[in-house]
This record gives sequence, structure tokens and C-alpha cells, in this order.
Amino acid sequence: MIIDGKEIELDEDGFLVDPADWAENLVEYFAKQEDVSELTEKHWKVINYLRDYFKKFEVAPMVRKLCKETGFSLKEIYELFPTGPAKGACKLAGLPKPTGCV
Amino acid sequence: MLFFIGQVFPYLAVGVFIVGMIWRVGKWLRVPVPFQLTLSPAPVTISSRFGKVCGELLLFPSLWCGDRGLWLWAWLMHVSLAMVIGGHIVGISSIGLQFMDIGFTAGQSLALSALMGTSSGVVMLVALIILLYRRTAVPEIKRLSDPADYFDLLLILAIVVSGLHMRMTSLNVDLMAIRAYLGGIISFHPIPIPKEWIFVSHFFLVNVLLIYIPFSKLVHFAGSIVNQSMLVAPAPVYPSPIKTNSANVSAKVRLWEGGNSQ
Amino acid sequence: MKPPMHIAKEKDTAAIGFPLVPENDQQAVTLSKMKDLQSSMRSLMVMLDNCTKCGNCAKQCHSYLGTEDYFNFPAARAELMRRIYKRYFTWVGRTFGRFAGAEDFDDETLNKWLTYFYQCNECRRCAQFCPFGIDTAEVTIAARHILSELGLMPKFMQGIAANMEKTGNNMGIPIPAILDCAEFMEDEMLEETGLSIKIPIDKPNSDILYIPSSADFFTNIDTMIGAAKLFHYLGVNWTISSNILEAANFGLLFNLNVMREHNERLKTAAGAVGAKLVIQGECGHGWRAAKMYTEGSNGPVDFEIIHILEYCAQHLEKLPLKKLPMRVTLHDPCNYARAGEIIEQPRAIIRACVTEFVEMTPNRENNFCCGGGSGILMDEMMEIRMKLGKKKAEQVSALGKLDYLAMPCSICKAQIPAVMKHYGIDNLSMGGVMDLVGKAMILGKN
Repeated sequence: MIIDGKEIELDEDGFLVDPADWAENLVEYFAKQEDVSELTEKHWKVINYLRDYFKKFEVAPMVRKLCKETGFSLKEIYELFPTGPAKGACKLAGLPKPTGCV
Repeated sequence: MLFFIGQVFPYLAVGVFIVGMIWRVGKWLRVPVPFQLTLSPAPVTISSRFGKVCGELLLFPSLWCGDRGLWLWAWLMHVSLAMVIGGHIVGISSIGLQFMDIGFTAGQSLALSALMGTSSGVVMLVALIILLYRRTAVPEIKRLSDPADYFDLLLILAIVVSGLHMRMTSLNVDLMAIRAYLGGIISFHPIPIPKEWIFVSHFFLVNVLLIYIPFSKLVHFAGSIVNQSMLVAPAPVYPSPIKTNSANVSAKVRLWEGGNSQ
Repeated sequence: MKPPMHIAKEKDTAAIGFPLVPENDQQAVTLSKMKDLQSSMRSLMVMLDNCTKCGNCAKQCHSYLGTEDYFNFPAARAELMRRIYKRYFTWVGRTFGRFAGAEDFDDETLNKWLTYFYQCNECRRCAQFCPFGIDTAEVTIAARHILSELGLMPKFMQGIAANMEKTGNNMGIPIPAILDCAEFMEDEMLEETGLSIKIPIDKPNSDILYIPSSADFFTNIDTMIGAAKLFHYLGVNWTISSNILEAANFGLLFNLNVMREHNERLKTAAGAVGAKLVIQGECGHGWRAAKMYTEGSNGPVDFEIIHILEYCAQHLEKLPLKKLPMRVTLHDPCNYARAGEIIEQPRAIIRACVTEFVEMTPNRENNFCCGGGSGILMDEMMEIRMKLGKKKAEQVSALGKLDYLAMPCSICKAQIPAVMKHYGIDNLSMGGVMDLVGKAMILGKN
């Protein structure tokens, strides 16, 4: 996949294979795939929280923790990211797709 | 030709049937059951387990709960089959006089035997025809069926038709001669088969069926018991009641050894 | 035919010990694996030999009813393997070919297996309605095992297996994250009750080892909180092991050797912790694996294995519960009702926790699968998943107004909300049974 002139590897679900490849310009690209019409400050708050947590703990945070720390209810998170915190928000934040029973 | 059909083939057929069934069931029983397949809720006592398996064999509750129409014709077919087989065993030895033991006259006994025999045969015929029709009429069943599935039904139908023919037409079939002939077979002193073509065909087809059963889906009469036993087996109990002694481990615990043979 | 899911890449399957078998060798290896399985599990030959093609299973399978695809009809699904079995392993099939229902292995065989054996939820409902008890799940388990041994498996399964190997749980949650999650949940409980309720991780010399589903540490934390509150109230000495933060055993769903490995973790963890009692959390197939497959996989064990719902039901009378004013129904997970002997316990618990409990129809061992069973949770199969969940949606909508749908299995918790949303039934909460216990329990200031 070539985005903005740089070669990025994505898996079949469209997630970054190597989280280190994440850059801000990719977020716009992912946003279109995940039905996010416009990237607002609220979106970035979630994305930044996810990235920080992932850097520290190598995994996505618990959904309730995400809600609590960002101050958004689960409903609001779905409004921001229609495909959900696991699929939508994690993809935009460059995290690997959460797998398992989710 | 008649010598072969009358005095050789029956032994061949029964031999193949017995050996074949032992081989087929043995093939299954030789393989271990590494993981209990208990289908819950499972019966808890030995007698209730026995009851469940027998209940399924006798009444077909799974069909009753699933498809009443199928239940009716499959059950009738099997029940009339049982009556026919039972009737042959009893009837051939007693020539229809068995009911005298419970107080009927000879005439009444013969009439009752004839009634029971004919009605079982007719019910079986009707059931088989309906099952055969169902197999062609229901699209998924038709797609699922192999030629062998039709062959099974047709073979059994041919046997039933030839048997009913003997019973219901005025073709004179000499019952005493047949009785003597079968007695000869059973006592290993075979005598020539009675020459009535209807009897010869009926008997020949029965022997063909005996040879066919162990190698076809008709083994389900035995397979059913083997399979259902797995489903009613008790679930494991923990802590395991066997001591963690290596000698006991290999003998009692059914460890699975299949897998990555690469 | 292209299987409707992403297939794991060669390097990924090789990384978990399943290198891709070259196409030319696939037939030979398939037949060799079939032979292995035939001599290892009695169920396979018996179930392949005894089908009389009566078709009673058709109307009882939610997969067939929902997708209306002929090969999802249980007997037809089993035929995909049965025909190969007859052709190569029975003299009748070898001699009489198509007459006896035998078929040659061809280019499409493995694609069909991948497509259809991953549309069977291994729910065992067909076994109930088969006069012989033929369990298509057994054939599916065998087929998926053979496919994985060839290096063919959904990406979903491979990812989970890789995570499990690395971290001991399906989600790949490493130890620091586990501790962080536990701390968060402890904080939540403190805020709610004013009590310091702990979630011990790797506490040595514990009597009880609790094995939650890893999803209880991601999306379904109310289930974990419910269990933690239960243990706290009963004052028992319990812990979670970071080596096996996973009640699930996805090996059961794609490869039996992997199933044994995952199961071994359970045995090792229990030994390490010194637990005499292992309690499995809300996970359907994981319960079946723990209860039915432990002895056969790893020999005798000297601890007890029970389910959190059994344990909770045993102690139900003691618990300080105030009934929540809700109208609740229960979805019986397949692996509890048809493979795990857990039928009445969730009902007893729910009745103690809420004011109104209603049964869906059919229920108990006759219940329909949610459609996600055996790990069919792939995003790319969403359309098929929604068809598989059709019967479930019908069952729930028939109940009218509901406040809560109890579904004590992680796969169901992932699948059912998507199904309900798809079919327009979204005015109800959904979650586990232990969630209700946590919410109904009177602890501290709440």
C-alpha cells in the first residue's frame, strides 16, 4: 500500500502490520475506511490515549478505561468511531486489531 | 444353479453377514474414545443410560421431536420389519399354530397368524414406498442421496413384495416343504430348495441383503448403539479418581495419540 | 470456490508450527491425517459410517435455516468428508465409487472444507435430533484439525493461537497490562462499594485458581467484577494466573494438538499456584474443553474443575442479593447446555438476581446457537454471521420488551450484540450472568 508516497504494509483487515509505521497522515486514510467523516479534537483525544496506552502496555486498553480516561461514554465513542472502539478507533490509532472474543 | 442358490449361497450369506458385522463393529470398537462426548443433559445412572439408548432404538424420539411425518413412516417401517422377522422365526417353526399355546384353536391361530403376517407386510410395503417417494420428493434429501440409498430401499421392497406375493395370492407355496428346507439349512444338512420361483427369488434376495448389510449404511442398527453409548457416557469427574501412577495412566486414561505425524 | 474468510499467511502458520503443505502433497497429507484421526477417535468412523440420510437434522440446524445453503445442512456438511472417506478408506467406496457415495479428492475439496466446516458452529444440536446421535461437530473438529495440519486455517485462528503462545491469553495481553487492568477494576469496585476488593494475580498458595476469559479483561469487565465480588464476599483464598488468563481453548476449535497445549497450561498453572479447585469463567467451548478434554489431553489431575456458575449456584443462598427490577432472559450457550451440563445453575442465579425471568423458546438443550460458536467471529464473515444468528434474533424478538439478555459465554457476548443490532433489536442490555450477580450484590455502601 502506498500512502503519501510511502510504502506501508497493511493486513487483510486494513490494519497496520507494523505499529511503528503509524504517522498522522495515515489517520485521514483510515478514517475514510471506518466511516469517520471528520477528524475532530475528540477523535484525536481518543487516538492519542490509545497510542500512549499501547506504547506502555503493548495492547489496547480496556474499553471502560478508555471511556473513563477520555471522558466519553461508550455511546459517544461509537458516535465518533461508528465501527467501534476495537475496530475503528484502534485502526486509526495504528494499533493491531484486537483479536479474540471481541 | 439351484444347487448353488439353495445349498451353498445361504451359508455364504450368513457367514459374510456374521463375519462382516464383527469386522465392521470391531473396526469401530478398536478405536478409543479419547474425549467424552457426553451430550448433556446426560442420564446419571447406568439404568437410565440403558433406558435412553433403548428408548431411542424402540421409539425414535429424536424423529418424533423433529419431523412427525418422517417419524411415522420410519417407525412403522421398522416396527413392521421387526414383526415380519419375528413372525418368520415363530411362524416357520410353528407353522402358524403358535397361538394354540395361549388357548386359541388351530383354526383361530392360523387365521391370527395370517392376519398379523399380512398386515405387517402391507404396512412395511406402504412405509417403504412412502420413504422412497420422500427421498425423491424432498429436494435436499434427493441431493443428499446416493444411488446406494435408493438401492437399499429397492432391495428391501423387492423382498417385501415377493414375500407378500407368496402370502396373498393363490400361488401354491408349500409351507411344509419350505419348513423342511430351512430346517435342513439350519441343521447343516441341506436339502434341495423347493422349486417355486417366488420362494427362490425371495430367499435369494434375503441372502443378498445379508451380504449387503455389513458394507452399507444398514449397519446403522449396530452403529446406533455404539454411537449413542458415546453420547450417554458419564462426564469425567475431577479430581480424577485414578492415582497418578504411571502404570495406571496408560491403562486407564484414554490419551489421544493421533496428530502431527509429520 | 473462495472461502469467505481471510486465510492465514504461510509465514504466520509456520510461526505457530503449521507450515503450509505444498499443493501437490495436500491430498496425500489429508488422507494421512484422516487415517490418524480414524485410529484416534472412535466418533469419526462411527459417525461417517452410520448416516442413513434421513434428513431430520436439516430443520434443526440454525446454520442451514439461516444461510439456506445446501452444504450447511448437517448431513451434507458431513458428506464433504464422508465422500472422501468412502472413496479412500472403504473397499465399497473404492470399488463402487459414486454408487456407494464415494467421491474423488479434487482441487475444490479443501476449499469446500474451509468454507463449510467454518460455517458449522459445533453446537451439537444436530446430534440431539439424529436418531443415531451423529454429531456433526465431531466431523467439523476433525476437518478443521486436518486443515490446520496442512497449514490451512483462518487468520483469526492463527492470530489467537500466536497470542496464546506468547502471553497465555487470546487477546495477547502481557503481564503489565493484566496488572493495570486488574488495578482499574479494583478502583471501579472501590468507587462503587467503598470496599477494597482485590483481583489477585499470581498469588502463590491460593486454594482457588480462577480462569476468566481474556475478554473479561477488555470488554466484559462486569463479568470479572461479578466474580471478584463473589470471591470477596465468600472470603476465599483465590487468584488468577497470568500464565493462563484465558478460559477459552481455541485449539478445540481448529487443532487438537494445540488444544492439548492450551489445556496443559491449565494443569501447570493449577500446580504452580497450588490450587485444589480450578474455576472456569464464562466461556462456552473453554468449559467443554476443560470439563471433557482435560483427562484425555493431559492425564489425570488432582484438582477439582468446576464452572463459576456452578460455584456461584452452590453458594447462592449465602449471597446478599437485592433483586434488580429487570425483565431478563437467558441464552443457553451451546457448550453449556449440550456439552457441559450447565443448564439449571444460570437460571437459579438469574432468578435470585432479578425480579422477572422469562425463558426463550426453545431453551436449555434445545436452544439455538448464537451463530458465533466455534470461533466464527471474523469481521469479514459478518454477512454469514448475521445469517447464522437469524434464529437467535427470532427467539429474542418473540419475547417482546426485555431489559437484559444474559449470555454467559464470551463468544456469545461478541456475536449476539452484533446480531441484535442487525435485526433491529437494540433496546436491551446484554451481558453475562456474573455481571448480574455483581450488580445485585449488596456490598459496602452500594
